[in-house]
Amino acid sequence: MKPDVPHVLGEMAQLLVRNADPSVHPADRASALGLTAALLGFAAQAWDGTAHNLVQENKAIRKVLGETGADEDLRLTVLSAENARLRQALIELHEKVEGQDPAKEAEIWAELVASTERRTVLGAPV
Amino acid sequence: MTASLEPRIAAYIAERMPQARDVAVAGLTRISGGASRETYRFVLSWTEGGQARERKLILRRDPPASLIDTERRIEFEAYRAFHGSAVPAPEMLWLEEGDGPLDHPFFIAAEIAGFQASPALLWAAPYIATHERLAERKWTILGEIAKADPVALGLDKVMEPIAPEDCWKRELGYWEGVLDSDEAEPLPIIRAAIRWLRANPPPPAQKVGVVHGDYRTGNFLFDTEGEIHGVLDWEMSHLGDPLEDLGWSLQPVWSFGRELAGGLVPDDRAVAIWEKASGLKADPAALKWWTLFNCVKGQAIWISSARAFIDGGNTEPIMVYPPWALQNAQDRAALKVMGRL
Repeated sequence: MKPDVPHVLGEMAQLLVRNADPSVHPADRASALGLTAALLGFAAQAWDGTAHNLVQENKAIRKVLGETGADEDLRLTVLSAENARLRQALIELHEKVEGQDPAKEAEIWAELVASTERRTVLGAPV
Repeated sequence: MTASLEPRIAAYIAERMPQARDVAVAGLTRISGGASRETYRFVLSWTEGGQARERKLILRRDPPASLIDTERRIEFEAYRAFHGSAVPAPEMLWLEEGDGPLDHPFFIAAEIAGFQASPALLWAAPYIATHERLAERKWTILGEIAKADPVALGLDKVMEPIAPEDCWKRELGYWEGVLDSDEAEPLPIIRAAIRWLRANPPPPAQKVGVVHGDYRTGNFLFDTEGEIHGVLDWEMSHLGDPLEDLGWSLQPVWSFGRELAGGLVPDDRAVAIWEKASGLKADPAALKWWTLFNCVKGQAIWISSARAFIDGGNTEPIMVYPPWALQNAQDRAALKVMGRL
């Protein structure tokens, strides 16, 4: 999820402090806290699965690309950077094989569908 | 922060109502959800000819950085052009393009009070019984927008002109540019969609009309009978292919998980209502193009919201909600329109 969860949580923490000030208008406070609660819900959903999903996705994309290797550093920033590199390479491969290699195209589409299943959030409209 | 705005709004309005005395603003309340403008409602009171008067008004003010970069004058003029027509729109009162009076540009409009805009209300009684009527009104009004003559409305003077054969190129180029500049991570599904759109362009527009730009369930005021009393959020309005608006109204993110156009009726029913009202045809291939285009546009909007937050231009929680809630759904919507899901 972008923006990254730690960045958002940091900003939300500051927002909660600002809203503790009694001079904040109740309507402004209600609006800010309602949205903050929703974002905390998304962050809670992401907490347990993010590293696992990134590792799985990186592994799946490497397979499509024909790359070897594995994620050794499991910090989210490192996994995300590798995921971005792999997804950019996937875009380039997809463009190259379109109309040229139906089997590889199908493999790429299957991975793209799978990527949206890994990233599904509760209550999503699609 | 809203409290300190009240006397400044009153001072601004008092200068524009020289016949009024004792101009005051009360009950200023922020309406949540507006990520491209800060929206407030308030009650204006004044004395005129010895009589005390009141009016419910809306203030729409630019935030420091917004979900959508738009020209507020175009939005203001679009509202003004349609007010009093078959397309219900609130009355516009004052447009201020300077930063002086309220720190950021803004406009003030009459409030259409007593109705609802939240889609969440529509999935339960009493509104759930109104879906057919609401859909009839929703796509009839969209057809009226498509049918309108931009020159007769004076909107050709504020909106950029476009040739029928160039509508798709300009819109796709613009939103692809937003993705290029704002994406925080590679987007393989949306990039594949863009390649398909460029390889399979739609025919020239049947007419160049007014495009609302964000016509969806959630951007109009409805009642318990399925009537629509005001079409809102014209900030992305422009001249273009009327199928663009129809495609936005059908893009799957706006089905709210109900597998129905706008969460209300099947797609073919919505299209039939629109065709009857507009007098235009929705060629299925062209409509598929514009629906997929709108998946790209939607993703560009969610991505630019994330970018504004990441860069620190606007760190309000409303800037995070769209990308977190909708980015993956938007990818899935694009897959669905492309027949991949």
